[in-house]
Amino acid sequence: MDYIAAASTDIGISKSTNQDSFGVKVLDTEIGRVVFAVLCDGMGGLSKGEVASATVVDAFNKWALGRLPVLCASGLSDNSVSMEWNNIIVECNEKIKLYGKRCGVSLGTTVTALLLTPTRYFIANVGDTRAYEIYSSVSTLTNDQTVVAREVSLGNITQEQAKTDPRRSVLLQCVGASDSVYPDFFFGDIKTNAVYMLCSDGFRHEISEQEIYSFLNPNVMCEREQMTRNMNSLIEMNKQRQERDNITVVTIRTF
Amino acid sequence: MLQIGSLVDGKYKILSQAGKGGMSVVYMAINEKANKTWAVKEVRKDGVLDFEEVKQGLIVETDILKKLKHTNLPSIVDVIEDDETFLIVMDYVEGRSLQETLDEYGAQPQDKVIEWAKQLCDVLGYLNSRTPPIIYRDMKPRNVMLKPDGNLVLIDFGTAREFKEKNLADTTCLGTIGYAAPEQFGGMGQTDARTDIYGLGATLYHLVTGMNPSEPPYEIKPIREINPTLSSGLERIILRCTQRNPDDRYQSAAELMYDLEHYEEIDDKYRKKQKRKFGLFVGTIVMSAAFAIGGIVLNVAASNKATDAYEDKLFEISKSRDYDEKLELYEECINIPNKAGEKDAYLGLIQTYKENDSVFSVEEAQQLEKLITNNKSALMQNPEGYTEICFETGKLFWYYYEYGDGSDNQITRAKSSIEWFQDVIDNAPEGYENLGMAKAYANIGIFYRDITTNITEANDKGKYMPLFDNIKDLIETVASDESESEIVRLELVEMCRNAIHQYATKFKIDQVSEEDLLELYTDIEDILDSIEVPDDPEDVRTIKKTATMNEMESTRAAIETAYGTGKEGD
Repeated sequence: MDYIAAASTDIGISKSTNQDSFGVKVLDTEIGRVVFAVLCDGMGGLSKGEVASATVVDAFNKWALGRLPVLCASGLSDNSVSMEWNNIIVECNEKIKLYGKRCGVSLGTTVTALLLTPTRYFIANVGDTRAYEIYSSVSTLTNDQTVVAREVSLGNITQEQAKTDPRRSVLLQCVGASDSVYPDFFFGDIKTNAVYMLCSDGFRHEISEQEIYSFLNPNVMCEREQMTRNMNSLIEMNKQRQERDNITVVTIRTF
Repeated sequence: MLQIGSLVDGKYKILSQAGKGGMSVVYMAINEKANKTWAVKEVRKDGVLDFEEVKQGLIVETDILKKLKHTNLPSIVDVIEDDETFLIVMDYVEGRSLQETLDEYGAQPQDKVIEWAKQLCDVLGYLNSRTPPIIYRDMKPRNVMLKPDGNLVLIDFGTAREFKEKNLADTTCLGTIGYAAPEQFGGMGQTDARTDIYGLGATLYHLVTGMNPSEPPYEIKPIREINPTLSSGLERIILRCTQRNPDDRYQSAAELMYDLEHYEEIDDKYRKKQKRKFGLFVGTIVMSAAFAIGGIVLNVAASNKATDAYEDKLFEISKSRDYDEKLELYEECINIPNKAGEKDAYLGLIQTYKENDSVFSVEEAQQLEKLITNNKSALMQNPEGYTEICFETGKLFWYYYEYGDGSDNQITRAKSSIEWFQDVIDNAPEGYENLGMAKAYANIGIFYRDITTNITEANDKGKYMPLFDNIKDLIETVASDESESEIVRLELVEMCRNAIHQYATKFKIDQVSEEDLLELYTDIEDILDSIEVPDDPEDVRTIKKTATMNEMESTRAAIETAYGTGKEGD
């Protein structure tokens, strides 16, 4: 299994800081080539949001470079990955909370981490950043941890109502602002000739799945420049449609 | 930053930094002359983005707080402001927050939590009953200080103000906004006293289970699913506080307080015990009736004498203009030996309550209930008279009962009157003309008493059709009767409107047809129209009528929404 990875981020049309952070690493390990990607959407007053998102991205990058190769050598399992990721997230939560207390601000971040190995994908998720698999269609691999997503799943409101619900930007939890944090984990078999994508919520509010598919399907994502161009087109489309948030997207094409 | 050791305003010596919030620092200070410690909250110009706006907010907030006086609130003694800072000097609250208590010891004992709940309920009731009402909006363990003497203090009115709808445009996280009630996110109606009821319910849940409702599974389960030894009464209270729809919660702190004080009585175990007790009670009555027959013979002679005194007293009352005197005289009248079973004094008393101020107060209710209960056996000897008294008392509760601190809650009234109408049903002589009405009242009261539990236990289906029939009955018999008092008719129309509004979808599920519901709606619309009220906008009848009129439109919309017959885009 081999991969091409590309990423793009934009401050957007209205914010004074970009509080999104991300990281992508391609590594050669004992089980073959693997890709690790992480994306965080920070939040907090007085431009502290990027402190939270960068803290989490740094912690995961450190893990990818230090622990991941060791783990690959000793045998990677759903269990071992989720345990180590859970520890990272819980530790970051405490660290950011303490920092917030010291500075008298409240800040936090979402996180979506993705590991692709020759056979399997592993995902951890907190908040409303998402992971997608684009193959013959677009499918979401994560569940949003938002109040409205929960209301939809409980049958209290419909998908349509969720779009205009006043609570749509309220997360159930995030790293740094929750007393305790409980990430979701997702695993599955990886597909060859597919595109795996991570994005912040700013990337997906204004564009449809159909549009994502037509710009980011595996057939039009064959080399890095082309991939970046396509992602930037969608970012521009979002901005033209008055998306106000920071916008970040990471894609990995498998072959 | 204030320097430790510096003197503020020539009075307050800053001793140490006590805490730090989003935009402020709190210091502990001492007034050396008075030898008293104070908390000094400092908001600095360079610490916040828009100092002027924040300052204005703080001025409003401290002005409110300065006017408040309650044992569970910190009092503000001084506000010092200049160009650079804004200082608030207030009570230094010793102790730790309930959140810290939870962090250290986990779930708290039920008795303690109930005690705390009463204190918090009391202070919320106090805030909510100010004019204009103050809604705290941020009830959570972190904002409640537990003093060493066991009393609580509600702190931090600032965070309550920070949480406004506009802030939600940015991504936020449940952890930072606490136990926000659904309506606090905007778009679902105003926040009001019931918003604080929700916050208190969530706080109690957290305290008694140790589970934070804003953490997975993000829900408020019946507390006995977490700890089966907890009281089912408390479970009911918490569930009712935290209903999604504000209409389904306690409508006021006073109403919640009542249940907190009687939580053991709404407990399953207690209910079962009461049923057994009732069995014993019936047995006792049968026995005493047997002995009474012996007594009657001896008493006939004595009662002839008493009759004169009784008549005299009633005549005296009819001449009296003083309300308190009347009440006293009626009580004396009832206490005349062998006259406790006569209905006239009771009915006169009931009429007096109504005429006085159209309000049946808690004290009045206590007087009447005491008189009737104490003389029950005498009264029961004349079932016809007793039935009439019970029916009038039931109606008094239903239409006039003013329960607690200014709360005006029809549902509580309906519930309080159940036992009286039940007594009518149990004792009515054959052919009693108001029996049908009494049944309708009792059934509606029982419906409201049990509906929360029934909804919680998903037993509510099938309960709405009878409710509809009972309400329709009362509208046709009582509300349409132009000789009835305006208050009675207005209350009934409002109860009906409220039921239609709240339960339109439930009526549909129970197969009440849209035609029937609309017909009832039109009926109350016509009745409402026909009720004449004084021009005086302050008159209670005028206020009631206007309040109901204002809701009619949205009630109609509720029917249309429920039956899906609203216009496109409505």
